[in-house]
Amino acid sequence: MEYVSPIDERRREPVPFAARPTDLAGKRVALLDITKARGTEFLDRVEELLVAEGAEPFRISKEIFSKPASTEVIEAIAIRGDLAVEGLAD
Amino acid sequence: MAAATDFTLPAVTGPPVALRQMLHGGPVVLVFGHADCPTSTLALRRLAAAGPGARIVCVLEESPEDAARIARRTGFPYPVLAQAEPYEISRAYSIETVPTAVLVATDGSVADTVVGWDAAGYERLLGVELDGEPRLKPGCMARWTFDWRTGGLDEFEDMLERGWSDGLPVVPPTPDRVEAMLGGREPALSLGAVPPAHGEATLARVAACAVLAGCRPAYFPVVVAAVEAALEPGFNAHGIAVTTQPAGPILVVNGPARERLGLNSGMGALGPGTRANATIGRALRLVLMLTGGARPGGLDRATLGQPGKFACCFAENEEASPWEPLHVERGFAAEASTVTLVAADAPLSISDHRSRTPEELAATLAWAAAAQWSPFWWPMDDTSLYVVCPEHAALFAAAGWRKERLRHAMFEAVQRPAGELRRGETTPLVQRSRDDEPIHKWTSPEKIMIVVAGGEAGRFSAVFGPCDGMQAQVVTKEVRWST
Repeated sequence: MEYVSPIDERRREPVPFAARPTDLAGKRVALLDITKARGTEFLDRVEELLVAEGAEPFRISKEIFSKPASTEVIEAIAIRGDLAVEGLAD
Repeated sequence: MAAATDFTLPAVTGPPVALRQMLHGGPVVLVFGHADCPTSTLALRRLAAAGPGARIVCVLEESPEDAARIARRTGFPYPVLAQAEPYEISRAYSIETVPTAVLVATDGSVADTVVGWDAAGYERLLGVELDGEPRLKPGCMARWTFDWRTGGLDEFEDMLERGWSDGLPVVPPTPDRVEAMLGGREPALSLGAVPPAHGEATLARVAACAVLAGCRPAYFPVVVAAVEAALEPGFNAHGIAVTTQPAGPILVVNGPARERLGLNSGMGALGPGTRANATIGRALRLVLMLTGGARPGGLDRATLGQPGKFACCFAENEEASPWEPLHVERGFAAEASTVTLVAADAPLSISDHRSRTPEELAATLAWAAAAQWSPFWWPMDDTSLYVVCPEHAALFAAAGWRKERLRHAMFEAVQRPAGELRRGETTPLVQRSRDDEPIHKWTSPEKIMIVVAGGEAGRFSAVFGPCDGMQAQVVTKEVRWST
């Protein structure tokens, strides 16, 4: 039997992972705070660990946790950072 | 080479056609197929590109009516013949798999055969190039090889196996049903990408969801308006879809479409029993879940969800309301039909058969929301949707209370000292306030939204809790097409 699919069957090209670094020394690491409660506490600890490894972390925030990050935020991470860590949930 | 069996079969257009007669014009490629075989319909679609010179004849194991429908759906431009049970021609040609193409030479001999969809094989038979994917696809069993009436896949089971469901049985979206749902509208017209997976909400897909949900075609304009509302960026369909909250879309219908479609605004309006309420709400959910990819447990990350996520649609009881209807309050003409979409939690019923003053009743209604979202989370910065029953509304009307006054009375009624709220999950405002500082349950009276619905007897109103932190705006859309 033939049906009209409710689903968009078009295939999307998979986006390959970026190359993984072998060490953190000198790497600029974006710490993305999505603005959920206690996200800063988590990122504070991650920042300590990154600094100890010789990385150069910097903070950036989403406008609100419940909406996708804006293009500006994504571009800022891509331009300023070599790596990113996202504090995802509370 | 084996001789091809001659035959005469009814054509979907024009008089019956004989093979011998066709061979007078040169070799012919016979393509055997049937409607339950997706590879057969794929072959018909792809062969449409073979060009006007191709000598292709399709022999379908279908009634002439069904064969004509398939020809129309697939856009197959060559002759289509219908072969009835017991499919003697398929047997004579030993067609065990469909599609199978048989090249019959002008001398009546079988010169070549291609089984299944094999683009290279068809290129060989026809001497043309057939672009596109797939190049190969296995076929299905020809009808005469099995008892297809009892041995086929149950279509209702098929729907659930495909995942085209919310867990309940659905109406299979056959092309005929979807065509009827579309009512002549452009199937490829897009309403936009549906978060979170960003599937394109073409009218054909929305119509397929409406069919699956069990909608009558007359409901379709309301479903389309609901999808348009959900795709307004302010509604934050992405956040609503992927959150761990139980949020679901609540649809409130206003205007003349309510009566035309038989939407229930009266007794049991929030419950089961009315096709329009149940299926319009369900259709929107299916669009979000199937086209948008927000499947529970997949991209829909709700910890618990709530029963209203199957469907939640009701009409405002404008006739029983002493106030202007919701759509007029939101700037639409009274004679317009509209859909208002609110992202909300499950409803809480509020019984009050004892209050005799508007102040008392306003306080009862308002305090029911005190534990919404979380008991110590004050204030909430998102919308609480109140559904006020006609008897409660009448009490306010008798006292001359307009909706605005009720909203303010409710807002002012629910306050607690910050010191009593400094427990568990609470807000930054509570944390930094003095112990005796009063905190409201809502950030402003405008966060209290009021509609009237329900039966004429009984003093039960209800309140839908908000999706706090979502910044999900309430969106109203006019139903643009005639219902």
